[in-house]
Amino acid sequence: MRNTLKLGLFLLLIAGIAGLGIAYVNELTQPLIAAQQEEEQLASLKEVYAEAENVVDESEQYLDENTGSIVTQVKVAYQGDDPVGVIYLVEPDGYSGKIQLMAGFDIATKKMTGIKVLSQTETPGLGSNAQESFFTERFKGKTVEKPLEIVKKEPVDDNQVLAITSATITSKAVANGVNAAREHFMENFLQ
Amino acid sequence: MSLWKEFTKGVLRENPLFVLVLGMCPSLAITTSVANGIGMGVAFTGVLLASNIVISMLRKVIPNSIRIPSYIVIIATFVTMVEMLLHAYSPALFKSLGVFIPLIVVNCIILGRAEAFASKNGLTRSILDALGMGLGFTFALVTISTFREVLGAGTFLGMPVFGDSFQSALIMILPPGAFITLGCILAFINKMQSMKAAKRTMVGQQVAQQQLSSN
Amino acid sequence: MLDLHEIIFIVIGAIFVNNIVLAQFLGCCPFLGVSKKLSSAIGMGMAVTFVLTLASVITWLVQVYLLERFDIGYLQTIAFILVIASLVQFVEMVIKKHSPDLYKALGVYLPLITTNCAVLGVAIINIQKSYGFINTLFNGFANGLSFTLALILFAGIRERLEDADIPKSMQGTPIALITAALMSIAFLGFSGLI
Repeated sequence: MRNTLKLGLFLLLIAGIAGLGIAYVNELTQPLIAAQQEEEQLASLKEVYAEAENVVDESEQYLDENTGSIVTQVKVAYQGDDPVGVIYLVEPDGYSGKIQLMAGFDIATKKMTGIKVLSQTETPGLGSNAQESFFTERFKGKTVEKPLEIVKKEPVDDNQVLAITSATITSKAVANGVNAAREHFMENFLQ
Repeated sequence: MSLWKEFTKGVLRENPLFVLVLGMCPSLAITTSVANGIGMGVAFTGVLLASNIVISMLRKVIPNSIRIPSYIVIIATFVTMVEMLLHAYSPALFKSLGVFIPLIVVNCIILGRAEAFASKNGLTRSILDALGMGLGFTFALVTISTFREVLGAGTFLGMPVFGDSFQSALIMILPPGAFITLGCILAFINKMQSMKAAKRTMVGQQVAQQQLSSN
Repeated sequence: MLDLHEIIFIVIGAIFVNNIVLAQFLGCCPFLGVSKKLSSAIGMGMAVTFVLTLASVITWLVQVYLLERFDIGYLQTIAFILVIASLVQFVEMVIKKHSPDLYKALGVYLPLITTNCAVLGVAIINIQKSYGFINTLFNGFANGLSFTLALILFAGIRERLEDADIPKSMQGTPIALITAALMSIAFLGFSGLI
């Protein structure tokens, strides 16, 4: 009995020292990690909307039960007191699981300013190309007047986007997400 | 055993992955690019080195009956620290290694070295053992990931190796490619060993014959 | 809270699309180590499914009611591995006492499960994907089935490989890995299912 107690105390001691050590390293690294995440977030916001200086998360105001499940976040970029652009976080269903991406729109020009894929589980080398810039560039500057359409040959209309080779489903999923954001943008910001 | 041999045994003769076939999960999962392989190898070596040092120093203090739980706590502590350091200083690597960083805890190599080596040997030898094993594991990861990245994506460390006309063999960076690569490497090692063994017996026979004829 | 649609997605996804061994590479050591005979594969599969389900649930409770409540999320790895190690010990003791038959079937495999990265891996993934309690339960169970399915199929093939004429240097682990590669290719066919 006495021996068991001794062994238990010894384990407790080791676990205690371990816990203290981890807590110390955590103290050291936590501010760095937090700063990095913030920086990363700002950088990706800027990637989809270049003038993203003063961005406010207004999801609560703009999202309700009728918005559907694809749009998950609405962020509005302000210049002074006027809203100038909107950045959406959308989660359409891809080929194998959800794709998480951001899409930016400009209110004055009524055009898309860019998209960025944040996370995806598509087939490596095929669908995963959706996060590469050669594909996301194809969305830049598209008008919001008509829904985007994925095509397999060189696009002729302004609302058409060339699909990724051998990954049409993924391309369509991205367009789906962007279109959901576009619809919400048209209804809420262009009146 | 000399100190130098203590170090080199982990690299080739007792390579944890190629010879002992331990630590399969990370070596199959994260070897899609050379950068991942190096990152995993460094993180692994760091944990192994730290845990070997501490366990070797405490080997006379830790009661025998609770040594395994104690080792697990010590290893888990260092894994958590490495995880936080990676998150803070190399977020890209942290992201691409994902769940396989905390899973270093259950990597059989680390617990195996603690139990089989660090708990029985002094500090210097334990450090050399950890460095050798770590280097051996990193070497194995880099070998696998080189095959997979070059054939599967046509790049090495992100730099294109072939011309534009190269059509990469996608399968190599998909899950099956991991099994194929490791299987072929192990078969190659078996072949080398059996060739070496055959040579040795041939030499042995020749020597015996010479001895016979000289008599 | 019970979202049947999502649960079916999780279960089918875990068993076929993202098979725990063949696509996620969790639990490779027992996959190669305990797959020489069909009977031991079934025993190992059952033991893993049992522990994986229990461990998923308990680690989820630990995460939500201990680590998050006291804001010590950074102790996750250490807490989970201790929970799993003691859980395995506990299960072994309980089974030994109350069901000797079950102990005979699973007993030898239980100690091996502590260092099976599938258990810790799934426990961490449950938290990363921020599953609720019910989803965690089903994800743990489905991943156990996923492991069992891969292990049984693999053992069935390996039993037949015994009689095959394999080049000498390919015998043993190399041919097992190539077999696993072919199975993994077959499972790629499921992607796009959900």
